[in-house]
Amino acid sequence: MTMDWFIAGAVVMLVAAALSGARYPRVWLALTLAGTATLLAAAFWTLGGGAEWDWRSSFAVGGERMHLHLDALSAWFLALVAVVGGGGAVYARGYWPDDEHPTSAGRGRAWWSTLVLCMGLVLLCANGLHFLMAWEAFALSAYFLITLERERRETRAAGWLYLAASHAGTLGLFAFFSLLATKTGSWDLGPMHDHPELAPLFWVALFGFGVKAGMFPLHIWLPSAHANAPSHVSAIMSGVAIKMGLYGLVRFSGWLPLPSGAGWVVLALGATSAVLGAAFALAQNDLKRLLAYCSVENMGVILIGLGATLLGAANGDAAWGRLAMAGALLHVWNHGAFKALLFFGAGSVLHATGTREMSRLGGLWRAMPWTAGLFAFGSAAISALPPLNGFVSEWLVYLGLFDAAASHTRVAVAIVPATIALGVTGALALAAFVKASAVVFLGAPRTQTAAHAHECGWWMRAPMLALAGICACLAMAPAAVWPFVSRLLAAWRSAGNGGEPPVPLVTLGSMHLALAASLAVAAIALWFRARTNGVRRALTWDCGYAFPTARMQYTGGSFAALAVGWFGWVLRPERRLHWPRGPFPHHADFVERIPETVLEKVIGPVGDVVMAASAWARQRQQGRLPDYILYLVAALAAMGALVLFGSI
Amino acid sequence: MARLAVWLFLAPLLPGIINKVKAWVAGRRGPPVLQLYYDLARLWRKGVVVSTLASPGFIAGPAIAWVAVLAAALLLPLGPLGTSLSFRGDVILLIYLLALARFCTAWAALETGSAFEGMGAAREVSYAVLAEAAVITAVLTLSMQSGSVSLSAMLTPSVGPGAVLLAVGLFAVLLAENCRVPFDDPNTHLELTMIHEVMVLDHSGPPFAAVLHGAAMKLLLFSVLLVQAVLPIGELSVAAASGAMIGGVLLVTVAVGFTESLTARVAFRRVPLLLTTAFLLCVFALLIAWKGGAA
Repeated sequence: MTMDWFIAGAVVMLVAAALSGARYPRVWLALTLAGTATLLAAAFWTLGGGAEWDWRSSFAVGGERMHLHLDALSAWFLALVAVVGGGGAVYARGYWPDDEHPTSAGRGRAWWSTLVLCMGLVLLCANGLHFLMAWEAFALSAYFLITLERERRETRAAGWLYLAASHAGTLGLFAFFSLLATKTGSWDLGPMHDHPELAPLFWVALFGFGVKAGMFPLHIWLPSAHANAPSHVSAIMSGVAIKMGLYGLVRFSGWLPLPSGAGWVVLALGATSAVLGAAFALAQNDLKRLLAYCSVENMGVILIGLGATLLGAANGDAAWGRLAMAGALLHVWNHGAFKALLFFGAGSVLHATGTREMSRLGGLWRAMPWTAGLFAFGSAAISALPPLNGFVSEWLVYLGLFDAAASHTRVAVAIVPATIALGVTGALALAAFVKASAVVFLGAPRTQTAAHAHECGWWMRAPMLALAGICACLAMAPAAVWPFVSRLLAAWRSAGNGGEPPVPLVTLGSMHLALAASLAVAAIALWFRARTNGVRRALTWDCGYAFPTARMQYTGGSFAALAVGWFGWVLRPERRLHWPRGPFPHHADFVERIPETVLEKVIGPVGDVVMAASAWARQRQQGRLPDYILYLVAALAAMGALVLFGSI
Repeated sequence: MARLAVWLFLAPLLPGIINKVKAWVAGRRGPPVLQLYYDLARLWRKGVVVSTLASPGFIAGPAIAWVAVLAAALLLPLGPLGTSLSFRGDVILLIYLLALARFCTAWAALETGSAFEGMGAAREVSYAVLAEAAVITAVLTLSMQSGSVSLSAMLTPSVGPGAVLLAVGLFAVLLAENCRVPFDDPNTHLELTMIHEVMVLDHSGPPFAAVLHGAAMKLLLFSVLLVQAVLPIGELSVAAASGAMIGGVLLVTVAVGFTESLTARVAFRRVPLLLTTAFLLCVFALLIAWKGGAA
């Protein structure tokens, strides 16, 4: 009964926020925070052991009665929606205020609350038709948020690409849900293990949800959309919206019977996304595009966990499968937290300097110490370094994979390459984030805009600090979240043989605490020792130049050049180089662009072929009526022949 | 406590032994074996010169890297002395603690805004990708052989026929991670030919002492890992195990010294080739372990 009030209250508050967003910013902020807090409370109550909430309406929407269902799996994702939704709302007040963006700020606020509401509805809907409606509404709200800055051409192009890809995925989902409804006889969703004929539908769901989740060949919309959207929108898209695709995959892999080979395919796609996402991220010179590709990489890591789980489920519900799933689902939360933190930091940089281009930044730590520190914290977290939370979830996935490999069954053929891929991804991600944080924040400012940066206000700092705090809590006390994760796994698919093996999370948590304390003590002790001995400041020695310039620093492109060379077969960098000529060269330049390979080298040519074919077909349209009548008669004759001969 | 003493006080001996071996091959007397101890004591007393561009992370970086390497070392069983703490999955914590040390070293390198350190950091993080692949494969092999993910269980049973392959692969990784010839030359200070040496070019005083000591500890860590992955230390008596451990580490150190004297540093474009060879050797060891378990 109380849950009814919670959910209803949250919905009412978010709708009111959406309506008031256009003109009353303070009311909007209060309502959005209250709504997200209510959602968070509902989610925690369910995760903490409360009963599953089920509600059927008496009225019909679109011919079907509404059926909402909140169990531990939905609650886990709902909590993430609430936290990032609330944090982003506070951030938007400092980042996208009315005085800087008079036309779009109000629109942004309204669509933000709508987005949070629609994502919550997607998580709650247990009826296929309403799931689709909520999904489409959520995709549209995201589109309007991405294109808040409609004046810029790149933003409009990014929005178009996002909309096209999103609708391609939604088409897949239409097919999936309709086929499901036809075969089971109702639009209602729930565990359906006794219908083995539903197994092939998993592939359709993989396509539909995979487009939204940013799985490797289907991720083409992600980099430009997340790079060109306003930073708080990028944060919620990268941190939460792509997790909606993942939610669909996880949910339906638990409810539907699985085709053979599902685990292998998901594991392979996950490993590919992880390694190639990290390689693409390392090659980028646009800060937000780098972060976007890193989201592809982390989705790959989660899919590796999910693939291992599906393999385990096919192999007698092995315990290592559930361990890998625990790691994958914990990574959902961890990634949401630190990716939102990183995007907020990138937004702070963009707000201060006006550019995302890393080769124009540098030395920002002096002017923006809070942003630099928090971005460094986020970088360490996303590189899965102890003692931070990214390590905890990847550790769990590794444990599952190692157990699977040690089981000496046939699955090791897929598990061993996946484990190696996970290791390689970690190293590539570390390289990418050393590049991102060092080129942007360390050294000397490369341009005047970087030299005149300023720190962001407290409206932007507070959400970053809150997210960093969440990361720290998850890192130091992972055992506290384990009961939630157990309930989550039970909600996904009830365990046949008694659940997951015991995992030494308490030991890991205490190790993290001890490590963090020793790191702090060591750093302070070394600093004091250096101070005691005497610290002298001097110019960086650059081979004896008396006046070193900022352009002597290593650039991001050079930093990544070695790895970009190794991955050149997929990255295909386009370089334009004008050499300096003569003893007193007066002009030289070097421009490097990393295209989005799948979009520009695969889908682009296919699109060109389609356009060429339709241009040829247009020659048949000459505007002459007799031609059109001929076409109609020919079509009718063909249909008649088909019916006649088809019935024989 | 004994473990901590071994890691802290015996680690600086190894670079001294390597230098003595190199000097003997070259017909010189070479620096004293205890040279690194004298250097560390001297550096600890000196002042620090910091670039005007560097943030506080420049001094925190070496400290964090040192603690990370020490924590990783304490996780590794030290023959009969065992390990301070053993739990399921501690090997992954060890690998990622070394990654933390790499992150902090690369961060501190890019603090000064110098092109030299940037070069070294770029090479370091790129080659680490291949070295990580080899290390993960080696750990997978050990895990498959022993059926466990905990270091004390992984390293105690005797290793099967893939021991030689694993030994060579791990030795190559040791050389790569500890900046030894043929991957990197610890003696030259020419920026164009270095990976690790150039990353720490601007450190001085106590932070530099932390860097040097951390490097020595890392060398000892990899040597102990290599010895325990190949020899069945856990099955011997305490005295025999200590003797085997000390003998093994000395053998590895002398082998590093000979490798440094008898081979030249390879051109940078060949380093990925060498690392991939090490990775493939570890993959073959893995296949042997897998087939051995299945049979």
